[in-house]
Amino acid sequence: MKNGFLFLGQLFFIWLIYAFSKYIVETFHIPIPSSVLGIIILYIMLTCKVIQVRFIEKGAAFLNKHLGFFFIPIAVGLMNYGELIKTHGLQLLLMIGFSTIIGLVITAGTTQYLTKKQENSTGRDKTYHGQSHSA
Amino acid sequence: MDSLTLPSIFITLIVYIAAIKLAKRFPSPFTTPILTATAVIIVILSSLGISYYQYTPAKDWMTFMLGPATVALAVPMYKNQKIIKDKLKPAVWGLMIGTISTITSAVWLTKALGLSDRFQATSAVKAVTTPVAIEAAVLIGGNPPLAAAFVITAGIFGAVLGPIILSLVKITDPFSRGLGIGTVSHGIGTSQIMMEGPVQGAVSSLAMGAAAIITSIILPWIYPLIHF
Repeated sequence: MKNGFLFLGQLFFIWLIYAFSKYIVETFHIPIPSSVLGIIILYIMLTCKVIQVRFIEKGAAFLNKHLGFFFIPIAVGLMNYGELIKTHGLQLLLMIGFSTIIGLVITAGTTQYLTKKQENSTGRDKTYHGQSHSA
Repeated sequence: MDSLTLPSIFITLIVYIAAIKLAKRFPSPFTTPILTATAVIIVILSSLGISYYQYTPAKDWMTFMLGPATVALAVPMYKNQKIIKDKLKPAVWGLMIGTISTITSAVWLTKALGLSDRFQATSAVKAVTTPVAIEAAVLIGGNPPLAAAFVITAGIFGAVLGPIILSLVKITDPFSRGLGIGTVSHGIGTSQIMMEGPVQGAVSSLAMGAAAIITSIILPWIYPLIHF
């Protein structure tokens, strides 16, 4: 029972940070999404030890695990595009698919190449494979 | 709350749980829950004659926690802050070059496939999270609802095929994998690559936020240069 309330309290706290970010973004017309500002605020609070990570850990892990769920009802909105899919679907899918692959390979390839170069030049072995913080 | 809301929420939850079980039982890009669950729900709603308009109240209930769930990504970022600090320089270069190539390739491919100007402007924003995509699309003459559809498709595409493509081109470094997925497939890609490991999830979250910020800043001046 106590754990259940604690868990809900953690979710509420995270929601509160989001609501605050949303208020700031809307009031001051900041050109970034509320959720991105929320990430920055929570990150700073954790780094500056305003709150301990264990205080929100369970709630955050739950939300992380089920983040995909929240996108499903939005993705169902594609059902409104039946007509467009019939007329331009193939071309659009080709464009989105190829552009996503190009962007993905260039982004990750550049990063991996530079990371290896950096590791070689410092001469330290820094492999983080398998480093896990799962609770 | 109307009579369709509760059944719609119920259907979505059941399909989501089933999709997760399916993905665990038969791990494959094509059993990625966002893909299978979305397709099944669309089929169910269509066959019951429920429109997306009628499904919207249920959607609003279920997406109430999307913003907070995104904020919660700060926790894996915090826990992996050392690796992020260590690799900040490669990450910044990867993000900049990657974001520019994503935007440019989308615009040029749209042109090459003979699609109109409206599609071209909208394609430029497809890699970033929806709220930013919608606003950035307006700045360069794109169409906001269409932008949302492109963003979702790019997200699902990256979530489903991104990890396997990275493995094919021998990008095995968890940090680089996360960075690539977050840059091209925002939150949907992040929710999937998170399952691969905590480093990937943390870096993908960071990349998603950074790509959104970079895109909204550079798009208004880069678009006139690449658009013809």
